[in-house]
Amino acid sequence: MQARTIPHNGKVRYDRKAESEFFVDNSALAGFTGERILYMAVRELIENALDSCEVNHILPKVSLSLRIHDPLNDMWMITCEDNGVGIPADKVPVAVCSFLTSGKYVERQQRGLFGVGLKMIAAFSTKDTDHPLKVWTRTIDEPDEFYFELRTDIGTNKPIVLSRSANKEYSINSKSGFKIEAMLRARLSPITKNKIYDYVSQTSIVNPYAVIIFTTDEGSVSFERRTSNMPDPSSEVLPHPSEMDLKTLKRAILNFTNQKTTIHGILCNSFQKMSSEKAKEILSRAEVELKVATKYDEHELIKIVNACRQTKFQSPNTDHLSPIGEHILTAGMMEEYSIVSRKDNASHSEVSNSQISVKVLKPVLTAYSSKTCIINNRATVVECGIAYGGNINSFRLYRFANKIPLLYDEGSDVAREVVSEVEINKMGITKKDVREQFFNPEVKSDRAIELLPIHIFFHICSTKIPYKTAGKESIASEGSLKKYMRSCLTDLYKRVSAQIRKEIRIKEAENRLRLYKHYIPLIVDAISESINIDAKKLTEAFTSLVETQVGEINVVPVHSPHRIKDNTVPTAELYKSKAKKSLNRMSLTDTRISKIKARKTGGMKKN
Amino acid sequence: MPARDKRHKDVIKKIKLMMSEISRNVLADKTLPVLDITKVGYDNTIWSEEKRMLTIGPKTVQVSPENTKKIPTFSQYIVMANAVRKLLDEEMESTIRGMYYATLSTIGDEKNKQKFWNTQDNSDDAIKAIELITGVPREEFAVTSKPKGMISGPITLRVGGDLIDCNLGSRATSQLVPTNIRDLEIVSVKADFVMVVEKDTVLNNIRKSGFIQKYNAILMTGSGEPDRATRMMVKTLNQEWKKPVVIFADADPWGLGIALRYKIGSESLSYDSERLVTPDAKVLGMMFSDIYDYNIPEVARLTASDEDLNRATDMKRKPWLRDRQWQKELNLFIQRREKCELDAFFKHGFRYLAETYLPRKLRESGVI
Repeated sequence: MQARTIPHNGKVRYDRKAESEFFVDNSALAGFTGERILYMAVRELIENALDSCEVNHILPKVSLSLRIHDPLNDMWMITCEDNGVGIPADKVPVAVCSFLTSGKYVERQQRGLFGVGLKMIAAFSTKDTDHPLKVWTRTIDEPDEFYFELRTDIGTNKPIVLSRSANKEYSINSKSGFKIEAMLRARLSPITKNKIYDYVSQTSIVNPYAVIIFTTDEGSVSFERRTSNMPDPSSEVLPHPSEMDLKTLKRAILNFTNQKTTIHGILCNSFQKMSSEKAKEILSRAEVELKVATKYDEHELIKIVNACRQTKFQSPNTDHLSPIGEHILTAGMMEEYSIVSRKDNASHSEVSNSQISVKVLKPVLTAYSSKTCIINNRATVVECGIAYGGNINSFRLYRFANKIPLLYDEGSDVAREVVSEVEINKMGITKKDVREQFFNPEVKSDRAIELLPIHIFFHICSTKIPYKTAGKESIASEGSLKKYMRSCLTDLYKRVSAQIRKEIRIKEAENRLRLYKHYIPLIVDAISESINIDAKKLTEAFTSLVETQVGEINVVPVHSPHRIKDNTVPTAELYKSKAKKSLNRMSLTDTRISKIKARKTGGMKKN
Repeated sequence: MPARDKRHKDVIKKIKLMMSEISRNVLADKTLPVLDITKVGYDNTIWSEEKRMLTIGPKTVQVSPENTKKIPTFSQYIVMANAVRKLLDEEMESTIRGMYYATLSTIGDEKNKQKFWNTQDNSDDAIKAIELITGVPREEFAVTSKPKGMISGPITLRVGGDLIDCNLGSRATSQLVPTNIRDLEIVSVKADFVMVVEKDTVLNNIRKSGFIQKYNAILMTGSGEPDRATRMMVKTLNQEWKKPVVIFADADPWGLGIALRYKIGSESLSYDSERLVTPDAKVLGMMFSDIYDYNIPEVARLTASDEDLNRATDMKRKPWLRDRQWQKELNLFIQRREKCELDAFFKHGFRYLAETYLPRKLRESGVI
């Protein structure tokens, strides 16, 4: 048995694998699995593009195209152009091709983290096609635009530069930017195609300041810029000392190798919330002798780490994060863009032959709430938004992490749990109200919230998001994250409750009004049976009176700050009838109760 | 078929007048009609010290189809008015339950369907409204309830053309108090006084003992909550035939409540108190103190519920129970938290109630 698992010479061979080869062989680690290759490619390119703009506060304009090149062999051409800072020419080959080379290995809130995405595209392109990867880059520091044709040497994790040129004729239309064109072999199922559309749509919700132009074989759509406010870019932050380990400390020492800095200085300069006193305290607690920093051995260093872990520090900084912010998220929610495919093939004759278009959802109101908290010693901002009503007609939960939409694994995401746990009665309504007034046969869930025309948005931003998997698709319920999310959602429920209660009342009133009309024939029948009257005329007169005069006196419009259109409420006309009606008090004075009193007690006559 | 009875004609006339008013509002004035109806219930009931009964207050309710909440009520009243008109035109009579069935229907389409009446209570309320609108008690327009009151003793009634002697010699049964009071006359009363008890079981026991013959009494019961006919009969015997009326009910707030129906009236019928209430009736028992004075064994006593205690506390504040004796009784109840049914006297023997307790109580108050 044993002999079979061991090579014939009885010795195990130990090979070193290049990073590139490792990632190509284990592409699932980076989310590049068969079905999802194109989805991941789109995602990585958009994320890189937006990061590259935001780092220098440039209002992003991203053009992305995904078109089939060779249907027989599943060849797709994907291109992406942005107006970001670009990549310096000398860094381009490694930045594009060499795995684990990134400008993003710093403690900072960024969309991308691993420096893997772009390299995956390059490697897959190299692996599956004979097309070179084409890259254009332009930075404000260099007068020329540079053009590269690249491939990855998968066996060594090194770039192969097939061609490199500096051009005065710009292919990139902005002062700086980056453009990439890659050929990928992949299948695209309708499900994945919709995920890509969702991804682009949702990206525009949290990046309403970006222009995104997306072209596919089905046509082209353009997401307009809805605000020119951009969130302040995130900044790099020193690690918090309570997270210190041997590796972090050694790296900190390494950063100061060439300077005669003491271990005290290194602690102070490499960690946040580390005052001179704190550093002293730690060193005395660690009981290590003071010497040149590089002279410490691991045994001594671990003492420092331990001392550090036993010391209490102030909570981490939060100002380095870049939340979306109320203004921007509201701009995104107020005009929620999404890509819709035209289903009818009948409209071929139309001028536009695009089969996809942008649908804009405009809610009646939006609300925003945020909380800053510390999760696993890292500052984390939880943002929550609600868009309600208008032409939103169903429930939907949107999840974002560091401004990236999360589309898969919703069921295991903490946001899903939070939505399930916050009771709808926080809105001052009951499940019964919702079931009766928002009944929707298409909704399978028995959760009342999912019957409401409501979109809930959760955004978590942090230097390290507690993802459940490397694919970055769902967030784990770490620490008190859930508590803060719940508190945000509860807050929002309370704030939209007035509107929802109002709509429930209006719906009830509508139902009753509908019923009302059924009562008129009963009244008219009763009257026309008793007295001689034209039933038809009476019915008409009654109905027209009801239409003009009957309203819901108790329904008062609620002011909401983000109301766009009042007339999206279908029964706005109900309010009008609040105008004072002249009710005719019928004076049955001769038939009042006094008559009963005046009557002789009848019947029981004394004989 | 036109109604022959003059009072029936009056009612029909009033109903038609109301219908015409409504039609005129809608057709000529182009306004929605409003029915101004006396409000019924506790918040429009006033204690009259002078009359010593609950009377109706000045409040009214406006029932109009002016909004969607009131349209059902408005239609119910109109439909019921028409049903009463029909009943009288056809010279028929009906119970309140009969009227409920006669007007039963559903409203709306498949999506929004609801019952015209949720329960018979709604239709009973509509009948009350017709009484209030026309100013005529329902018995006068031939809508009655099922008889449940009982009477036994030296009294002769005429129902329609038939004479009924309630002095049933066999002691074996009682006569139901007819509810169609328009057809009812009291022909003769030979008794010295009228004794009302809460329940028919107790009445049967007393009757069987020969109490009627021995004390020349009329025995009556409303079998719990008394209906209008029973209350009216009690009142007529007291006021027109000048017979003293005594009442015995269980020693609990509920029983006391029932006794008070006869004596001071009820909130839901306060608009008709003049016809129904017997202020001179005496509530003689069963007093809470009787539980102890007559040594009802503990096993036959019941523990008062919180509801009982709340009710007693509430009763203590009522002006009609303000005298010292009632205050003492209620305080005793609240303190001891024990109640008792009249039937508990059977623990002392089957004849104890009729032959010991009641005669003693009657003697104490000077009735015999």
